[in-house]
Amino acid sequence: MKALLKTKGFREFLRVLLALAIGLSLGFIITCFVSKDPLASYKAFLFGPLSQLNRIGDWLEESTTLVFLGLAVAIVFSAKQFYIGVEGQMILAALVSGVVVLYAPFPPAIRIVLAFAAGSLMGFIWGVVPAYVKAYLNASELVSSLMMNTIALKLFEYLLSTYLQLPKVSGIMSELFPKEVRLVSFIPNLPFLAETRALWEKQTSVTVMVYVAIAAVLVAYLLLYKTPFGYELRMVGSNNKFARYGGVNVKRIIMLAITTSGLFAGLAGVHVALGIHHRIVLNMSAGLGFEGVNIAILAFNNPLIVPFASLLYGYLRAGADVMERTTDVSRELVTIVQAAVLLLITAERLLPVIQQRVTTQDDEEHLQEKGEANVA
Amino acid sequence: MKPLIEMNDISKIYDNGVVANDHVNFSVNKGEIHALVGENGAGKTTLMKILFGIEKPTEGQIIVDGKELHLNSSHDAIAAKIGMVHQNFMLIPSFTVAQNVVLGSEPVKKGLIDKAEVLRISKELSDQFGLFVFPDAVVDGINVGMRQRVEILKMLYRKAEILIMDEPTAVLTPQETQDLFKAIHTLVEQGKTVIFITHKLREVKEISDRVTVMRMGKVIGTVDTKDVTKEQIANMMVGREVFLDIKKPKISRGEKRLSVKDLTYVSETGRPVLKGVDFNLYSGEVLGIAGVEGNGQTELVEIMTGLREAAGGEITVSGKDIVNQTPRTIRMLKIAHIPEDRLTNGVSVNSSIKENLVVDRYFKAPMKKGLFIDYSVVDQATDELIKRFGIKTPNGNLPVSSLSGGNMQKVVVARELSSEPYVLIASQPTRGIDVGATEFIREQLVVNRTEGTAVLLVSADLSEVMSLSDRIITLFEGCVTGVFPDASKVTEEELGAYMLGVKQQTPEEMEKFL
Amino acid sequence: MSLELVIRSIFSTFFLASVIRICTPIILPAMGGLFATAAGTFNMALEGIMLWGAFTGVFVSAYTGNVWLAVLCGILVGILVSMILAVFHLEYGVNLVLGGLAINLFSSGGTVFLMYTLIGEKGNTSILPSLSVPNVAIPIIKDIPILGEILSGHPVFTYLAFFMVFVAYIVMFRTRFGTHVRAVGENPEAATTLGINVKKVRYFAIGISGALSALGGMSLSMAYLQMFQRDMSAGRGWIALAAVNLGARHPIGTLAAAMIFGLADAVANQLGSLNIPSQLVQIIPYATTIIALAVYAVQQKTAAIARMKKFQEAHFEDIKAHGETAD
Repeated sequence: MKALLKTKGFREFLRVLLALAIGLSLGFIITCFVSKDPLASYKAFLFGPLSQLNRIGDWLEESTTLVFLGLAVAIVFSAKQFYIGVEGQMILAALVSGVVVLYAPFPPAIRIVLAFAAGSLMGFIWGVVPAYVKAYLNASELVSSLMMNTIALKLFEYLLSTYLQLPKVSGIMSELFPKEVRLVSFIPNLPFLAETRALWEKQTSVTVMVYVAIAAVLVAYLLLYKTPFGYELRMVGSNNKFARYGGVNVKRIIMLAITTSGLFAGLAGVHVALGIHHRIVLNMSAGLGFEGVNIAILAFNNPLIVPFASLLYGYLRAGADVMERTTDVSRELVTIVQAAVLLLITAERLLPVIQQRVTTQDDEEHLQEKGEANVA
Repeated sequence: MKPLIEMNDISKIYDNGVVANDHVNFSVNKGEIHALVGENGAGKTTLMKILFGIEKPTEGQIIVDGKELHLNSSHDAIAAKIGMVHQNFMLIPSFTVAQNVVLGSEPVKKGLIDKAEVLRISKELSDQFGLFVFPDAVVDGINVGMRQRVEILKMLYRKAEILIMDEPTAVLTPQETQDLFKAIHTLVEQGKTVIFITHKLREVKEISDRVTVMRMGKVIGTVDTKDVTKEQIANMMVGREVFLDIKKPKISRGEKRLSVKDLTYVSETGRPVLKGVDFNLYSGEVLGIAGVEGNGQTELVEIMTGLREAAGGEITVSGKDIVNQTPRTIRMLKIAHIPEDRLTNGVSVNSSIKENLVVDRYFKAPMKKGLFIDYSVVDQATDELIKRFGIKTPNGNLPVSSLSGGNMQKVVVARELSSEPYVLIASQPTRGIDVGATEFIREQLVVNRTEGTAVLLVSADLSEVMSLSDRIITLFEGCVTGVFPDASKVTEEELGAYMLGVKQQTPEEMEKFL
Repeated sequence: MSLELVIRSIFSTFFLASVIRICTPIILPAMGGLFATAAGTFNMALEGIMLWGAFTGVFVSAYTGNVWLAVLCGILVGILVSMILAVFHLEYGVNLVLGGLAINLFSSGGTVFLMYTLIGEKGNTSILPSLSVPNVAIPIIKDIPILGEILSGHPVFTYLAFFMVFVAYIVMFRTRFGTHVRAVGENPEAATTLGINVKKVRYFAIGISGALSALGGMSLSMAYLQMFQRDMSAGRGWIALAAVNLGARHPIGTLAAAMIFGLADAVANQLGSLNIPSQLVQIIPYATTIIALAVYAVQQKTAAIARMKKFQEAHFEDIKAHGETAD
């Protein structure tokens, strides 16, 4: 057990569990103050998403978007770049994919594929300016990405209301995407699944995007951990002087890290447009961009953990939704829990207390064995 | 007359066992300029840090002006009227000279800083002590000499009577050095006492009244400057080296592999750091560069390995000029580099050992297969290297941070040597590591040299340079002052004299052996 | 609507007066952000703290009937929330960006949560009898034609905002504390060796940013509107940060930048009637910030090179002399 405790991975896992436990407990304490029946409320929060099929569907849908966002942020954070322009990339990708799907003069299947490509590419392109400004001019990627987010939102609003606006409706939105270009249900169209498929289609709108998300996770993982590019990216993130000394072109990697993550952010936009809303509408992204940061932190920037982090957060958000609808506690409770968890996980000096106690004893034994004496 | 400062029986032993000061007795008289000299690691900076309260002695006492002092921080020292001017200036770039001088204890009138008073203070101090500055100038735009004077003024503002200067001329041009000396004389005329850490013997003779020589944490002696020559001081500094028992089979060197011509480098502040360095490196030899740190070695190595741009000159390897090329290009020419600062450049502490071992080869076969890195090849290579270089670790997946200093250095050495380099540049390769690892790494360097690699060894450890090298050149203030074609035939005193600028060979003498 | 009419309306006193008012909730948090950034701890949570200020002001004024007590409480809450960020960053090493984002998340959700809990509403607090601060009619000035209409009659917060710019300037450049803040931001090591307590200074700087952001939030809920709305800071906290950056971290520059953002917003709306899309005009200040960022970075580089050349020339004789004799 001690050996297990000494591995960094396990300690980090413990830290996450601890943070989650504290966060959820905090949530419960607040619920006690606020609700007439705190137990029922918190039960709705914790178990709500599983209670009905449509709620499970909502959970999976939102988690899918979160996966793409989490992957995008995980990539830039692995290179130690504080780029948070994911929101802007996502929203413009949604716009572009919607436009392709509505107006490209191709048969539906091709339109969908093109929409994916266009959305991804849009995400990539939108990252170029902040990427260049940081990589080659060494100017803050934080500030430039925040600016790009707002510019993206305004641009989106402008293009939507000017060129795509559906006439004679009160809200700002585009045409509804025709049925043939909508993504289909994620349950395959096989005879023995027909009943299940019909059920899911009726109550939820979980689409094949789920598979795309899984594929994206694998691609991100392979990219980051199995390719030379991923190696370079991670070395730049862990010690960019070492990377430079070893021969890596640090500037180019920083540039590529930020733009490549845009590919994944773009897919999030495609999902929001084609999978969830089926039209281009104001407020599509619902501030999910920053959630990507939460996911990446929770997942320690590891693509393989991102889906679990996404499911977890998606679950919490869905649970909050159920809680609000069925009890007297509003859904914003979950943001308090999330904020607490984020603070606790990143509080490196707070939770390592556990680590120190476990390891110092063994280290002392170790040193005695080796009898090392340092000579200057 | 009793001395102003008495440091009695000072010892400083660090947690890792390093003895920086060994029963040191050091005293300074009021109103004198006292030089404290020694090679790197002699203990002089540590001793002064103790006097300035930044370090606490393991043993011993400090008596200043008859009172025993217990210094817990630099504030205590400043309160005791001791001031220190560090090598790295502690200035606020966007503030003016005057603002920097009074920082932390600004004069206040009715709640607001009294700007007129700030200017007046700095003008008054500047005039009184002959330290010329522009009080209104923003520190960012003034030259190094003036910045140093601002640091001195800061201490004077806090009423320092004793001024410790740590290698003050290291960053100055000759003209600025003269200005500093004039200022020091003025300070002393006004009753201040100056302690001056340096390794530049010319300056010791020029300005100091007495000089204390330290070596290996001990005081070798304190003498009146007028009673010694530079050669004598150099002898005291260098002393008898411990010769290492390293088996070095005699081989004759092979073809020329690297050629440095007229290499120059000027620092950001305009100070010339390398002034036309020439030398050649041959296959099958270890060429040692002997010199006290700070004479251009660091910059020289960085230029040779693509981490810094030269101002002028050429470095030719395999027919190509590698000056101002990227590290990748240089590595592709099979030039390996053991960096002097392993934590900054040599390793990525949070990455695994195996990832650290492949930074120079992950992008080519056999490690790169198609689009991916073949980690089975990486794992195998890692295991081999761990075994071959005796890196003490259960497996290669652990982070480098889990290793001791010596083993970390072994990772660096394993990587650089296993690339079968054409040229190997080793900078301070055994600094700060345990005996076992040190021996092993030195052996490896010799083995490589015997197998034909051209090895350049830059080390502040003179015994290491003398034992490992076949040929030695001495570097002083950015110039090659001497070349010794047979390392076994030169003495420490000889080398010391050339390292410290006391002696210099003529270009004609050096030409045939460079 | 013709171009002539639009230009006339832009230059109307009404418009100029409204620009001044629009800038208020940007200038206040920007001044706060200025202090935090100057001390080396930029505060990303301005947006969120504004919400807490706005919220507290409304509720305290509604429940106690005392406007000034409400303002005081708002300030205190703003400081309190900023202290959460300060403690987690300074004591526990939480990264400022992530900590700021966490606080923003907590603020956006927490205010709505409390609102719902206390009054059962999720959109706004219009049902509450909250108060707003009085408008100030400056004697004498108010009677000056044109100028009087532009300068007089604004809510207290507006005058406070501009006054804060002046105060910020004085504090940062003329007081010990402000000087220490700037020193700590530029070279904390140097500051420490001279006896300045870096942590304490940073706590104060972050606290100030919290207080001013809360005031900014209250200028929204107790002047601009007379209620709290969910997410009513509507990005002004981010604009404030951008203004600090664009304004080269100087109070006057930040003021100018904040006014540029406010002006763009107001003009954009007017131009909307000319069929020039308002969003495109609104983009201008943001794009400008990025360009300014890039230009500044390039400038730094060329300045460093120029400086190096200057020093090299000064020592040219030295360098030449040694270069020649060395070999």
